[in-house]
Amino acid sequence: MRYARLFGLFLKASFLVELEYRANFAARAMVSVFWAGVTLVGAGVFYSHTDTVGGWTFDEALVIIGLFTFMGGVIQTFLQPNVQRIIEMIRLGTLDFVLTKPVNSQFMASLRYSQMFSIVDMLLGVAIVVWALFRLRYAPDLLTLAQFALMLVMAILIVYSIWMVIATLAFWLVKVNNMAELFNSVYDTGRFPVTTFQGLIRLALTFVVPIAFITTFPAQSLLGWLDATTLLAAVAMGVGLFTASALFWRRAVRSYSSAGS
Amino acid sequence: MAHQIEVDRLSKHYQVHEKEPGLMGSLRAFFARKYRVVKAVEGVSFNIDAGEMVGFLGPNGAGKTTTLKVLSGLLYPTSGRVNVLGFIPHQRQNEYLKQFTLVMGQKQQLMWDLPPMETFLVNRAIYEVPKGDFAAILKELDDLLELGPLLKKQVRKLSLGERMKCELAAALLHRPKVLFLDEPTIGLDVTMQARIRDFIAEYNRRHGATVILTSHYMADVTALCERIIVIDRGRLLYDGNFRALIERVAPYKVLKLQFERPPDLAALAQFGTVARADGLTAVLHVPRAHATDMAARLLSQVEVDDINFEEPAVEDIIRQVFAGQVDGLLSETGMARAS
Ligand SMILES: Nc1ncnc2c1ncn2[C@@H]1O[C@H](COP(=O)(O)OP(=O)(O)OP(=O)(O)O)[C@@H](O)[C@H]1O
Ligand SMILES: [Mg+2]
Repeated sequence: MRYARLFGLFLKASFLVELEYRANFAARAMVSVFWAGVTLVGAGVFYSHTDTVGGWTFDEALVIIGLFTFMGGVIQTFLQPNVQRIIEMIRLGTLDFVLTKPVNSQFMASLRYSQMFSIVDMLLGVAIVVWALFRLRYAPDLLTLAQFALMLVMAILIVYSIWMVIATLAFWLVKVNNMAELFNSVYDTGRFPVTTFQGLIRLALTFVVPIAFITTFPAQSLLGWLDATTLLAAVAMGVGLFTASALFWRRAVRSYSSAGS
Repeated sequence: MAHQIEVDRLSKHYQVHEKEPGLMGSLRAFFARKYRVVKAVEGVSFNIDAGEMVGFLGPNGAGKTTTLKVLSGLLYPTSGRVNVLGFIPHQRQNEYLKQFTLVMGQKQQLMWDLPPMETFLVNRAIYEVPKGDFAAILKELDDLLELGPLLKKQVRKLSLGERMKCELAAALLHRPKVLFLDEPTIGLDVTMQARIRDFIAEYNRRHGATVILTSHYMADVTALCERIIVIDRGRLLYDGNFRALIERVAPYKVLKLQFERPPDLAALAQFGTVARADGLTAVLHVPRAHATDMAARLLSQVEVDDINFEEPAVEDIIRQVFAGQVDGLLSETGMARAS
């Protein structure tokens, strides 16, 4: 409850910062629409030669593209800006102000600054998903929606945890930005159904960098194709990664404390 | 558990890995890391009672910031025991974190692109300060620091001094009992330094807050702290009354003289030590106890144009202490503390 209020305050402050740089907003929104368009046109070209890709029709793949755009928005809005800040705070030593506050330091460090104008991507993503469902003439029932909501929460937990691990590495490594770039290029594969990939790559995208849990599986759950095993795997993956990231953060803060700023 | 802050044989060592310059150096460091140990704090003990204002002095790299970081729970002690308000700082319990504040003149917590008020509101929520209390505290800080219009200006548009005032306010909204102030006046002009100093004194008087202050400006310490703790290269050099130290190191007053004709130096020497003499001016060090007598005698025997008494420059005294030119300080410390 207290944390929800704090998060609200963080969002408000971030929004006010955004207003300071109003001019960026329009430009940023245009970039978002442009990239969503590029992804859609790309998919269109793909599907002009074939009816299904990896077992997904164009309209079904649209759900994935929508989720890919949405999660990209989540990353741009909440995760990437905070990771940049954490790196900067470690470098400047201002993390001291976070660590001397009577709140959970990971919460405070990882949700402090959001880039609100990237919410455009989240909205675009939702619009694409709705459009896809409309083209499919498919309305998910309540149970399906509930499953989808759970899968979505797990997906967010998974990307959050991956980004937190990257940020936490900044306690030891200087060039974490490269790592973030690397993640972004792997994340790009999330616009395709994971079933389009073969063998090892597919395994890696499911279990090493679990991109499949971020776009493909939630899309499946929305379309009502999800089996219980995948659902359980997603919950295990989400909770497991989150716990790992929290433990890793605590470990890092402890070694920061014993080694110094 | 009589004291509010207890530091017992605290040591803090940093491990730094050595890296030779260049690519080969990097490679070598990658395969065989060489560590060097920096003994930032070494066996330092002191106790501080509630409401005390203590000046923490030492040359660059003495270990002042390190000690404050240990007290704030940011660093684990390598060895020794630290207790503040009954808490072990590095456990960083919320009940402890709510009761102190750390201000670092070189770092800022205010959000750069927003007016200070936004940071204040976030801190209010973090420290769970009730709305009514917050209004009262803010009003008091506003009165004392004259924040007024600053609160609505973006931090990046504030001057260094204005920003420091807001930093202090942001750090005091939860009305902490213990203040760790690490060079809060660094880089400020003399007027602003004095303003900040007055504020700290007034704050301590009103709320009985305990203050540990580091500063390289002696004026800050002279104005605020009866007691000082001096450390150098991580070791305690002196802990005790500031005036007592000055009188011990410089048991004299400084007599500045101006003449119409070049004076007879030999004649002057019978009134005190001639510290400096060039042309028509001379500086004498006169024993404190006899300062006025000596001056009177001097005026009756020597023709003087102008005469002036001054206290020895604190900077000079502290420099002597830092340089290790004063022996037996520590034993004095022990006695002063034991009594
Ligand atoms: N994070 C760190 N890693 C390694 N060595 C450190 C670290 N922080 C400080 N030191 C070293 O520890 C010693 C004490 O540093 P500290 O910052 O406590 O000094 P200080 O008394 O605050 O000095 P100043 O007056 O310059 O601020 C110095 O030799 C410094 O180089
Ligand atoms: Mg320092």
